[in-house]
Parts: sequence; C-alpha cells; structure tokens
Amino acid sequence: MRLKLILVSFFICFANLLQAQVRFEAKVSKNKLGINERLRVDFEMNQDGDDFQPPTFSGFTVVGGPNQAVSNSWINGKRTYSKTYSYFLQPTERGAQSIGQAEITIEGSVYKTSPVAVMVTAAVDKPTDGDNSELIASENLHLVAEISNANPYLNEAITVVYKLYVSPRISVSNWRELDSPKYSDFWSQNIDIRQLRIENGKYEGEDYRYVILRKTILYPQKTGTLDIEPLTLSINVDVPSERRDIFGSRIFRTISKTVAAGNRSIEVKPLPTSGKPANFSGAVGKFEFEVTTDKVELNASESLSAKVEVKGNGNLKLFELPKLTAPSSLEMYEPERKENVSTNLKGMQGSISENYTMVATQKGKYPIPALSFSYFDPATESYKSINSEEILINVEKGPIVASGSNTSAGKTAITSGDQFRYIKLNADLQPLQKKVFFRSWMFWSLLLLPALVIPLAIAFGKKREALAGDIKGNKSRKADKLARKYLSKAKNNLGDQASFYVALEKAMHNYLKAKLHIQTSEMSKERIQEILLKKGVDQVTIAEFLSILKSCEFARYTPASTLTMEQDYSKSVEVISTLDKQL
Amino acid sequence: MKKIFYVAFLFTITLFGQNDAVFKEANSAYTEGKYELAIQKYEEIIENGEASAALYYNLGNAHYKLNNIAPSIYYYEKALQLKPGDEDVINNIQFARNMTIDDIPVIEQSGLQKTINRVISVFGYNTWAWLAIAASILFLVLFLLYYFSLQPFWKRLYFGVSIAMLLLAIVSLSFAYSQQNIQFNNKYAIVFSEEAAVRSEPSLRVNAAFELHEGTKAKLLEDYQGWVKIQLADGTQGWISEKDLKKL
Repeated sequence: MRLKLILVSFFICFANLLQAQVRFEAKVSKNKLGINERLRVDFEMNQDGDDFQPPTFSGFTVVGGPNQAVSNSWINGKRTYSKTYSYFLQPTERGAQSIGQAEITIEGSVYKTSPVAVMVTAAVDKPTDGDNSELIASENLHLVAEISNANPYLNEAITVVYKLYVSPRISVSNWRELDSPKYSDFWSQNIDIRQLRIENGKYEGEDYRYVILRKTILYPQKTGTLDIEPLTLSINVDVPSERRDIFGSRIFRTISKTVAAGNRSIEVKPLPTSGKPANFSGAVGKFEFEVTTDKVELNASESLSAKVEVKGNGNLKLFELPKLTAPSSLEMYEPERKENVSTNLKGMQGSISENYTMVATQKGKYPIPALSFSYFDPATESYKSINSEEILINVEKGPIVASGSNTSAGKTAITSGDQFRYIKLNADLQPLQKKVFFRSWMFWSLLLLPALVIPLAIAFGKKREALAGDIKGNKSRKADKLARKYLSKAKNNLGDQASFYVALEKAMHNYLKAKLHIQTSEMSKERIQEILLKKGVDQVTIAEFLSILKSCEFARYTPASTLTMEQDYSKSVEVISTLDKQL
Repeated sequence: MKKIFYVAFLFTITLFGQNDAVFKEANSAYTEGKYELAIQKYEEIIENGEASAALYYNLGNAHYKLNNIAPSIYYYEKALQLKPGDEDVINNIQFARNMTIDDIPVIEQSGLQKTINRVISVFGYNTWAWLAIAASILFLVLFLLYYFSLQPFWKRLYFGVSIAMLLLAIVSLSFAYSQQNIQFNNKYAIVFSEEAAVRSEPSLRVNAAFELHEGTKAKLLEDYQGWVKIQLADGTQGWISEKDLKKL
C-alpha cells in the first residue's frame, strides 16, 4: 500500500553536497501481534546504499516483499532522501521474537539496524491482516467523550463534548445515533450544534479530522461516583479496498460501523459544610443579586412591582430565589417567575427573576426588608453572600373616597382619619417612679371616708334630734342665753352704779325692741304692760319687769349698794328668761 | 468634651425644671426634621426620670419618621399604657404597624367584652381610682343631704342620686382593678430583632416553629434561662430568646 505513496522524482546526484548524517533504521508496524496476524517491517535509510542484506527473520516467514521504495524531495533547496525496503512477515511461533539486524553499505561503511523485539501472542479473534475493512474502519474511527472536569463540585457545571475522530484514510458518509445517553443523576442540557464543522486535530499523536457531534452541559445532582453512559453511533464508513478501478485508483467500500464512546465516570465532590450560610439554597456559580422596585413613591390603591433577580453564570434553573417579605399591610401576590437563560459550554448564563406585584391600600411607609442570597463559587471554593438594600415604599396619599353618590362636580374628599398626626406639644411630665395612688393608704382612707362619716353624721343627727325633742329645756336654755347676751354689758359694769343701771335699762329696752318689735319712743311703762299683756304674759312677770325698770330709774337719783345691783342683775336675768318663755 | 460633661452635669442638677425646656427643644428639632436629635433629647428626659404619654408618643413619631419600626411601636405602646384611649397614639400606631411584616389576626372579643374593655381603657387605673373617690365623696354628701332633708321630693332625689354615686364608685373601683390587672399581669414585649425564631422549647436544638419579625407585640408568659415564653394575639405560644425582645 505504501508503494502507492512513493514518489519518484528526479535523481540528481551532487557530489559535493554536504555530507548528512546517515540513518538506517528498522520499523515494525506493531510490536505485539497475534500468531494469526501479520507484521510489516520497514528498513529505512536516508542515503542511498548498496549491498542490502536483510536479517534472517527467524520465527517468521516472509509472506511479501521485499518491496523497495525510494523518495527524493527538494523542499526549499533542502534535499530529503529516503529508501525503504519492506517485508510482510507472518509469525511462526508464539513468544518473544526478535527481528535481527539488516546491513547496508553506504559510501564504503557498513551500517546495521538495531534488533527489534516483537511479542507474538495467541491468535486473536479478528485477524488484523491489514486489509480487513472492518479493522481499518475501527482503527481509523474513534468516538471520544471529552469531559471538562472529572472531579466537579455538586451542581457545578461540567461539559461533555463528543468528538468523532476520522483518519484521513477513510471517509464518513452518514451517521445516526443508536443510543443516546441518559444522564440520570444529572441535570443536563444539550447545546445545539447547527452545522457540523470538520476540524483538524491529533488523536494519539496522529493527524485526524474530527467533528464535534454533540455538546452537553451537565449539573451533577448527586455526590459520589457517577457514570456517564456512552453515546453509541452507527456510522457509514467508506473504506478503501484492495480492488482498483481501471484507472488504477482504489475502489472504496462502504460499511456500517457502530462506535461507542467509552463509559466515563466522574467523581462529584460535595459542597463544603464549613462556612455554609444558613440561607444557602444550592446556587453554585458566580452570580449577582438585586432587589428592585419600579417605584418607591405611589398613591394608595396603586400597584407596584418588586423584582428579585439573580444574574450570572451557574446552575440558574436549579435553585430557589429568596422569597421577598413585605409588611402584611401591603397586599402582595404570588410572584411571576421569568427565566432568561442561555446555555453554552460555560454553563447556564443569564438571569432569573421573580416579579412580585404589590398593592398599597393605606397611606404610610412600608419597608421591604433586605434579602440575602448565598452561593458557592467553585472558582474560589468558598461561599459568598450578597445582601440587597432595604427598600422603603412611601405611600403618599390615603385612599380617596368619593364624597357622595351624587358627585355632581366630581369632587373627591380625602378622609381626614388617616393622616399621620403631629407630635403633642404639651409635655405633662410626671416622674417615672411615681407612687401608685391606687390601692395606697391614702386611696383606701379617702374611698372609705363615707363609710366612717355617715355613721358619725347619723349619730350626730340623732343626738341633735333628741335635744330638739326636749322643747322646754331647750327654750329656757335659749332664753337664758338671750338674757345673758343682753345683760352682758350691764354685768361688765357691775359695781359702777350709774353706768350699770344705764346699761341695764338699755338692755331691757333692747330686749323688748328685739322681742316685741317696738320703737324706743313707745317705751313707756303703760305701753309695755299693754303689749306684754296682749302677748299673754302673766301679771307677775310683767310686774317684775316693770319693777326692774322702775329700780333703774330710781337708781339714777338714789345711791344703791353693790348688793342691790347684784340682786337687780339676777332678777333681770330671771325676768328676761321667764318672759322669753312666755312670749 | 468638658463642655458636654458640664452640660450633662447642669442637666442633672436642674433635672425636672429643665425637662420641660428640653421637651420644647426636642419638639422644635422634630419640627425641623432633625429626628435623631429629637430622639436624643426626648430620651434625655426619660433618663432624668420623667415621662408622659405625650413624651412616648413623640418618641414614637420620631422613630417612625426614621423608619425604626420596633422602637416606634415600642414607644407608642408605652404611651398607650399611660393613656390607653389616646386617639393620636391609636392613629399613629396604626401607621407604624403597617410597616411590620407579621400579620397576626387578633381574636375578636365578644360584643359586651369589647365594650367593657373599651370603657375600661378610657382612663388609667389611677384616674379610675380618683373617680371612685370622687363618687364616694359625692355619695357621702348626697346621702347626708337625703338623711337630713325634710321635703319628700328632695329626699327622694338625693337618695336616688346618692345610690347612683355609690354604684359609680363601685364600678370605678372595679375598673381600676381590672385596668391594673391588665397592666400588671399582662406584660408585653416588642420584637426588636429583624427576624426572631420562635421555638417550641427553650433550647437552640429545637427547630424554629415559626419566625417573628421586627415590631410584633407579644404577651409574656414565663421566663426561663434567657428564654421567654410568649403568646401572640392569635393565641399561638412559643419560646423566644430574651435578646430578641424589649419588654414594655
């Protein structure tokens, strides 16, 4: 087959060409083969030599060759020359075999190759005889699952990229999926590939073309060892066959080949428990967090919307947003969830938000408390928390109430009851540690005062009544008192005759004036007697009264002893009191 | 610094005399919108050992203006303790309550109970006590008038009114008692922490049964090692850390 590749170019020998290092090597197509397989060995030199002597190939039989190939190329004035002798060998016995040294003479010196060790094993199922098209297909077609991170954290995004490597020697005409993997224990999303792009790459050191068939983003949902099931494809492969067409080019044979990407397993690490915030809800990635409202000032009965938003890169759809709390006096409705997430090889990106609609019914201030959102950053392997700001909603106007059913002018009145009232200006301060008046001694004594006073007052009243019942004694006491009152001045002048009798007479007159309502001008003895008689006073008393008046008159002209004065005084007292009783 | 010290010293000396002046200063600070200064001055008065419903009310207003939910409710409740029926306080505490997160339904009292409670809360217990005394003295006077008057019409009138006074005294006394009971046996507290967990047992090992937020009023039932058993207006009970509360 290699012969096909041999290019025969001009062979011009320049004698004075720089002497290059001579290389003479033996190369085997494989170092390990089954006894029913074949082996090819190439002896390659980079300068032309003579007298090539192959080794003996003990343990092998030569089934083909020697084929000789010479290539000579000039690239940018540099000559590359190579001459190869090829043999196809069939092992004859198992075990460690060795291909011996070949010899060649180049410019007079003899060069030898190193012996090559080859391991011959038991017969293999499918002899790779090199021309089997199945074998060619499987050797030149590889489906590989590339996993971005085989040891991720729980919920950390990993990508699985399925690449189909195709060697330049074969071509792929069609493919279909036989079995697509089920990613149990993962949250998975395929990234759509619109057009398959063929790219050049290396597979195990050899040049290959490859296409990316599928990209999947996975978020492990479980810790521990998780298996990623293989992807299996059925591929139509065009394999060159031994046959050639009439123009000498190979005829390609199309075979159907099933390839599977190997079973891969990944080890998922749990998130660290140390430093895990209490409100951690499983977000892993890198996020920004925000709580916003569309307005902070509004009128009652208007609505406002508050948005809780997480932006960034991570398992956006796989965690709960923190719930907004608001004063109970704000009517708040169930949030509306919005997702704006795109998935690419880096994972989910975008934002998710929850919109809360709230309606204020009353005037006032309504604080919406700060929210805290925590996530795990796999890049720094640490938890992070973001706190939002507290938002204060100010409801400016109270509920507007229509003034009446017949709103002719469309007038509205604002109810005055729902104004925030101003401070009080009258301090009316009292000591903090003031005595509790209630249940104090003072309180009880004041409260029970009536209970004490009423019996006393009743008792007093009773006594007074009793006294009022004794009319006679009462009257005499009264008259005595009266007489003493009138005679008090006379008594003071007892001893001084002139003034005593003047005072006594005056007292008598005054008494009569008060008692009988008569004028001083009417004060004659006859008149007094007449009036007293009319009032029903007995003769004796009248006579005594008049005698006192008479002795008063006498006393002006005749001297009287102190004894007489005292007698007159006590007599007048007696008269007045008896008189009083009878009047 | 020295100046401040002197000022403080002066205030302590002049104490009560100055308090009215401080109150006026605080009021003007409030009017100018310097609420923090107003709060500082109002609190100064309390530190000096004097207080009143008006003072607590003004403090509540200033805290409300600064959006301090728990303190504003706390001071309004304080004002209501001193003056249970004050309309301004009842009006403004509603504004402060609107700011709270928790919505605890109050168990409706029966019609009669509600009326009685409303009547009781018209005055503080000291006022009721004075009223009882006034009624009892009036009773005394009227009873004596009845006892000593002679005309049957006046006698009847005095007797009727005096008995009414006696009843009034008894009712006032019982109101004073129940008012005092309400204030002495029903101790309340306001939740000051932004979020406070209420547990079924006084221990951190037990998971939170529910959470209370700033500004919620709770009745205190028991104390135990830094934990307080509370009852909410809807009858729910639970244990809460003492640090989350401020007692009224």
